[in-house]
Amino acid sequence: MTTSRSSITEAEINELISKLHALLPEARRRGTHRASAAKLLKETCSYIKSLHREVDDLSDRLSYLISSMDVTTSQAEIIRSLLR
Amino acid sequence: MHVTKEFKKKTFLKQFLLGLHVSNSISNPISIEQRKNSIKLSADLAMAFARGRTHWTHALITKLGQKEENKSTLKGILGRRYQILMARYSCPLLYQKVQRRKKGVRSYRFSYNAQKRRSALKGSCVRVSPSVVARNLENRRSKVLKRLVPGGELLKGSSLLSEVLDYVISLKAQVDMMKSLWRATQVSSSSNVELIPKCSIAKEGSFLHYSK
Repeated sequence: MTTSRSSITEAEINELISKLHALLPEARRRGTHRASAAKLLKETCSYIKSLHREVDDLSDRLSYLISSMDVTTSQAEIIRSLLR
Repeated sequence: MHVTKEFKKKTFLKQFLLGLHVSNSISNPISIEQRKNSIKLSADLAMAFARGRTHWTHALITKLGQKEENKSTLKGILGRRYQILMARYSCPLLYQKVQRRKKGVRSYRFSYNAQKRRSALKGSCVRVSPSVVARNLENRRSKVLKRLVPGGELLKGSSLLSEVLDYVISLKAQVDMMKSLWRATQVSSSSNVELIPKCSIAKEGSFLHYSK
């Protein structure tokens, strides 16, 4: 890796890694240094994929719900949830 | 983080509703599939607008804006700003670079697998040193990650990591917002919706106007 590019220190990279590690759904969190970089990347990939799937699924469900009701009323309900 | 998330909620909802409103007025969605796509588009755009200006938001908006079916919706949402934003965000040269890199990835993977096969056949894994294997694995995974994150192919190292972090946070927020929306609409569809007075709907309708 070219050293001229790493104007960001090692410590900052470690901080980013630990933040990412903290975000992932921790079914198994054993010690902070357990996760190797490759494992972290793999878990991040699968997490992003599962989030995409959730968005897909939610938009599916929302489309069924919204199509079954009048658009104006659905907007009103959504705005009500905003004000909550 | 908490402050930005608060902003994000209101901006997200506003943009999301605007997107739905626009896509409903443009084309009366015939099929549920079309409605689902318009919801997804609105949600992604809302997430990008709510986050603000980062690398991945630019890439996402560009990617969404290049599809033919999305253009009319985008025009409706952005109004006058559509031309400016599309000119600023889209850069065909960037995508050509990405295409060339993708070809490189395939050939790299092929040679890596061939190397592994060769060493396995010869019965010894010592040929490829562990640090090289680890680095190759990391490179492979980060390439997958780069494909998942919009605009990720053009980033490296720590900038990629910070973009991924940002993107994951925004995705999670988007999912949470959509979940609460779904719960709200579910509750309302089961209850008696005629209780909503007509005047409040008119008031809330003006809320949807796109404002800077």
